[in-house]
Amino acid sequence: MFFPDNYEFYCPVKINSGNKALEHLPVELDALNAVKPLILTDRVVVKKGLIRRITSAFKDSGITMDIFDGIPQAPDLKLVRRLMNIYRDTGCDSIIAVGGGAVVDTAKALDIVVSGKPEDLRDVAGNDLIKNPLGPLVFVPTASGTGFETSGFAALGGMVFSSRFLMPDLVVIDPRMITSEKADAVVATSMIALAHCAEAYTCPAKNPMIDTYAYPAMQFIGENLVNVIKSGDRKGRLALANAATMAGIVFSGTSRGIIHELGWTVDDISGHSHGICMGILLPYALEYNINSEGYHMSDMLLPIAGPEIYAGTAKNLRARKAINFIYDMQHDIHDISKGGIPLTLKDAGISKDALQGIAGAAVGDGHTGFNMDDCMVILEHAWEGKPIISF
Amino acid sequence: MGDFKEVTAGNKPFKKAYVAIMLWFVGRAIQAAARVDKDVKKEFEKLPEDFTFCLGVLPKGPYMIVGKNEKGRVKYLGWKPGGKRIDLDMKIKGIEAAILMFTFQESTTVATARDRMIVDGEVPYACAIVRVLDIGEVYLLPKFIARLAVKRYPVWSFSRKYIGRVRIYFRSILGY
Repeated sequence: MFFPDNYEFYCPVKINSGNKALEHLPVELDALNAVKPLILTDRVVVKKGLIRRITSAFKDSGITMDIFDGIPQAPDLKLVRRLMNIYRDTGCDSIIAVGGGAVVDTAKALDIVVSGKPEDLRDVAGNDLIKNPLGPLVFVPTASGTGFETSGFAALGGMVFSSRFLMPDLVVIDPRMITSEKADAVVATSMIALAHCAEAYTCPAKNPMIDTYAYPAMQFIGENLVNVIKSGDRKGRLALANAATMAGIVFSGTSRGIIHELGWTVDDISGHSHGICMGILLPYALEYNINSEGYHMSDMLLPIAGPEIYAGTAKNLRARKAINFIYDMQHDIHDISKGGIPLTLKDAGISKDALQGIAGAAVGDGHTGFNMDDCMVILEHAWEGKPIISF
Repeated sequence: MGDFKEVTAGNKPFKKAYVAIMLWFVGRAIQAAARVDKDVKKEFEKLPEDFTFCLGVLPKGPYMIVGKNEKGRVKYLGWKPGGKRIDLDMKIKGIEAAILMFTFQESTTVATARDRMIVDGEVPYACAIVRVLDIGEVYLLPKFIARLAVKRYPVWSFSRKYIGRVRIYFRSILGY
């Protein structure tokens, strides 16, 4: 058992998941002292008929809601100002973000401005500059998600916001809302969730509360990711959406790790999303720390691979087995996608000459947990697809 | 402004009517069961004098109110909670959750475990009422449905189950 000398953990997020979870929305809004929500979403969600499910969930509640369904892929300040006017003119008192990514980022930015002054948005971009609680924010995912939605982070028009007050008050995960997606989208989002959880669960800064969320998240991804991209399994999609929600809470409670930083940097120069890049880097970064002091790599085998594999593996081989499980998962995904999802940074279109620059950018982002050499070892092996420690 | 609209939530009148009828009948059945069944009688004896409980659906009903009078007699007190002193308020979170319960897709116990209900009052009293509801369902429903509605289907004597069922149905319909 690992018990840290001291730790902190904060999570104000209520999760409501499962059959008919949407129908709890009116009661949950009431508990947040909200009676008039502004629902934000995009055209894709509307086309899939998902907004009708939301409005239907409010039947018999007597609630009047406003719906804005024009959130673009790259929202900007102008849009947030327009939404602020709608919110104030129509007397809204809460926000429901239906979708993911840009919709949630816009909802969080709007929550900042309607809880203060519109000009505040630029002033509070950065780390922990939002000092007061914001208005009620509800998130309803429509895909497996990355977890950023539930986290205390948001990005809009080049600005990044980080504050515990940005975590939504409520996440409603209803199987009717989790629609099927393309394989690369599922892999990209789930790999972000898995990478955040794996780093948090195995790093020296782990704590029992982080473990509580990271464990089931890794378990859900380990059990379901391959099945979901193979068959679109409905229950599996719900499990992945839950895993992403938990991963967001994990991510908000820990420092950003090397996989996160390298993944975002690689994303800038490869044609693939940062989720795919983080997925490529994940086993190499874990492997790099397999024998490092204070890391808990062997702990990961039970959640990721299940009790049978865990029980059948000798204690000294568990860390290796856990990492191999992720390598195997990567290969399965690569095969199912017929090579569409790359296994190495080389396949992802990164030139070897770019690795130095990627490492420099990741280290230059202000991290003390790793240095240039650490990054280069991981990047070089991930580029070639060659395990760091061969067994 | 084509991307913005205001929507007023509609209604589900048929589902609401179904749940209202179920609550009405269950309320009267509890009153009857308290006179016919020894276990229900015992559960109510343990509750305080003048104890009244309400089982309803958020946000605007329907409701069912049942209470004990000063003589300890259990009475169905109607479907309007307004103006009544309620000791235990059991609220189902919405009409869909109520439908799951009253179409026996979810038992009372499972519904509670899935956070479909909010209890305002003493939890031991709520547990007693859930036990009473379970017994009531065994009387009112055929076994193949009641098994879905209760946590564990009880083994009762023939006379308790079938004579009791007739008496409870009779009393529920006549309302005494």
